[in-house]
Amino acid sequence: MALLQVDEVTVRFGGISALESATLDAESSRVTGLIGPNGAGKTTLFNVITGLQPPTAGRVHLEERDVTTVKPHRRARLGLGRTFQRLEVFGSLTARENVLVAGEIRRRWAGDDTDARARADELIDLVGLSGVADERVDALPTGPARLVELARALATRPKLLLLDEPGSGLNEEETEAFGSLLLRLAQEGLGILLVEHDVELVMRVCERIFVLDYGRIIAQGSAKEIQRNEAVKAAYLGTADDDGATTTHTKQRAAR
Amino acid sequence: MSEFFSLTIAGVVTGAIYAVASSGLVVTYTTSGVFNFAHGAIGMFMAFTYWELRVHRGWPAPIALVVVLLILAPLLGAVIERLLIRNLDRRNVATSLVITIGLMVMFIGLAQSIWKPEVRDLRGFFAPHGFRMGGIFVTWHQVITLVLALTVAGFLWALLTRTRVGVAMRAVVDDRNLAALTGASPARVSQLAWAVGASLAALGGILIAPLIQLDVLILTILVINAYAAAMVGRLRSLPFTFLGALALGLAEAYAIGYAPVGGIWGGLRPSLPVLFLFVVLLVLPEERLRVGRFVGAKAPRVPSLRGSAAGAVALVAVTAVASTMLSAADIQRVGQGLAVGLIMLSLVLLIGYGGQVSLAQLTFAGLGAYAMAQWGGDGSPIGLLAAVAIAAPVGALVALPALRLRGLYLALATMAFAVLADNMVFNELFGYGGALEVGRLDLPGVSFDSQRAYLVLLAIAFGGMGMFVLAIRRGPFGRVLSAMGDSPAACATLGLDLTRTKLAVFSISAAMAGLAGALAAGLRTTAGPIDFQMLQGLPILLLAVVGGVTTVSGALVGGLALALLPVLQDRIPELAGLVFLLTGAAAMSLGKNPNGIAFMVSERLAPLLPGRRPETPQAGRSGHLDSVDSDRGGDGAGRVEAGEVTTVGAATG
Repeated sequence: MALLQVDEVTVRFGGISALESATLDAESSRVTGLIGPNGAGKTTLFNVITGLQPPTAGRVHLEERDVTTVKPHRRARLGLGRTFQRLEVFGSLTARENVLVAGEIRRRWAGDDTDARARADELIDLVGLSGVADERVDALPTGPARLVELARALATRPKLLLLDEPGSGLNEEETEAFGSLLLRLAQEGLGILLVEHDVELVMRVCERIFVLDYGRIIAQGSAKEIQRNEAVKAAYLGTADDDGATTTHTKQRAAR
Repeated sequence: MSEFFSLTIAGVVTGAIYAVASSGLVVTYTTSGVFNFAHGAIGMFMAFTYWELRVHRGWPAPIALVVVLLILAPLLGAVIERLLIRNLDRRNVATSLVITIGLMVMFIGLAQSIWKPEVRDLRGFFAPHGFRMGGIFVTWHQVITLVLALTVAGFLWALLTRTRVGVAMRAVVDDRNLAALTGASPARVSQLAWAVGASLAALGGILIAPLIQLDVLILTILVINAYAAAMVGRLRSLPFTFLGALALGLAEAYAIGYAPVGGIWGGLRPSLPVLFLFVVLLVLPEERLRVGRFVGAKAPRVPSLRGSAAGAVALVAVTAVASTMLSAADIQRVGQGLAVGLIMLSLVLLIGYGGQVSLAQLTFAGLGAYAMAQWGGDGSPIGLLAAVAIAAPVGALVALPALRLRGLYLALATMAFAVLADNMVFNELFGYGGALEVGRLDLPGVSFDSQRAYLVLLAIAFGGMGMFVLAIRRGPFGRVLSAMGDSPAACATLGLDLTRTKLAVFSISAAMAGLAGALAAGLRTTAGPIDFQMLQGLPILLLAVVGGVTTVSGALVGGLALALLPVLQDRIPELAGLVFLLTGAAAMSLGKNPNGIAFMVSERLAPLLPGRRPETPQAGRSGHLDSVDSDRGGDGAGRVEAGEVTTVGAATG
């Protein structure tokens, strides 16, 4: 039984199709990758899964329950957490308060009596933000701010965590540590769906990878299978290390 | 049967006028993203200008019309757009509301200063002539109105679909940044829209004034009829707006013809647009959450419990000492300032922390005053409890239909509710033109009977409520409010029920306003319908923002400022609308910074105090968070509006 099951989801904005019959699933205790060029529809898919974007067609199931028409905050209570590619941090609060408020929100709907403050401190340690915990988040650089979003999402104790390009803004060393953190979280039972441009990171942590291009899933499989896949090479991976090629791809898209 | 037909004709004509006015509202809102609360006031001001030229100076109607509709009104619209709208941050509902409400209040003040109250006769075109059609008398004014409405519809259709600039207007609706890429200048397009909008407002005003009355306030409040109609088209679609206008016009005409006369029914007709609006609000589908952060001006530092207690004690002490030196009239004035400050405190919670706007706080205060009059006889504290117990659920009831929707809708609904209370509720409660006696709080062993003692009581109440507001701010609920202000979408993905949270903050704020009203009424010891009119509430909202709606001290500054303005008015009696004029002007110039005067002053003073590091307010977003590449492009402003993909034009087709 899949933790998350996305069935043939289509999203059209006016005449433009952002997602075309995309099907995907994610399991608990695993990191599942979702890659694709800029504008492929990854963030739109995340918005559909979390309920911020109603799909034109298709269904979303969470633990076999159809949540397609369930409101975002109800889905969160069912165990769905996420971070945002364009940061949605609470800029007027400190890093610690960002995590604390998430715990307090959870405490309200889950009715548990865990010490939100202690939990927030734990999570701040876990993602390695102790040094800047009491700084206002709108004063933090992108990398740490993304980690704030990660810790904040973890504070609601999700079953499935959607991460939208969490690695951008991190340096090599931080990325390394971040990859290990993801694997550790997965080991503890968390399901993770990871959108990421850093191919090395994706290949390292993901057991299964889906490739999205022009709103369609063009391939899925293990890291090795994806690396060998011709369609993926053509669309994306063959030139993935080459930033120039990816940019050209984006330009073509913009010109369409 | 012939009565039915003549009512129908009258209804269609009124509907046509509403259609003209509300289409102007829709065009400005969709192209500039700013809802113009001053739309009715512009129509009012232009109708008075037309009267000035046509009746007072005796110009021929066609020349007066051309001058007003094709020169003065568009010019006014264009100037407003350039000076106030162009650089407005559209993502912050509160500030963009305050600017156009300030404009509305300023126009009221201006009109009251220019045209002294007297009966002005503005007749319809060729009145009272007309012709008979199948036994029904139709006036030429009615015919001309219909022809003009159809002309406007045709003009708008042609503008939006057949001209380059019209197509650009629709592009701006879709995405301001995208429109810029195609070479259309969003600023120019928005300016044109405001010019057209002002002209349509003027036409609406000139057409409707002969049917009702050339009156500053009545014409200004017509904006509610206009947006009630526009709401049918979700403030976007012109055809649905025309449909809504027609339905509203007919409903009003039939209400005049068939509804019982007198009593509570007497308020029915003027309240119809409001009821209409609430029905539409209930049916409107829930708004989608948008991603794309708004980061406002940096909020001021929140004082600790000890700091806020010290402030409260200081306020009470200063008031107590001052009360021994002030004259009776001055005590009354300062007391009024504190009472208004109490109402403004409810706005600090609602606007400053919660990011929601209410235009009905004075109405809740009125309910509180009524509760105190009814159940607080001899100063029983039960009156205060009753004030809270009534205001909170009424507030919840008013806010509920609008809370699912964007922040703007809450402001529109509360304004409508305030007018409904003016028309139907307060006269019933307090008696027509009458007033109820309100007891002063009388606690066992302590009496606040003397004017001086009551002033100190108000200071204690302000200090206590201020501490309450700050305690909320420091606690978990305050954190949730800050989080919601920064990113509603992220809050939802954490499992927060946004509607319930907004409902909670709105109810608490309404309860605070009710309590403030009960205490304020005790100062004068009477309360009547005219004390709590919607329009009187607008300066409270505006000066709260000018004083600083993010801080408790801002509420104190704003309250005292509003209480002192009448002193100035007494000095310059010939400027009849001075209070409104100054409040409006202050809001337009200072409303963009919600931290207001109190914060500016404390910033200036901070370096002078030992051991306190000044915190510089940091407007806008922080640079490094911005450099992130985006999947879909566009900046925050574009994304906020990108959801509104239905265009005026598409809807016209």
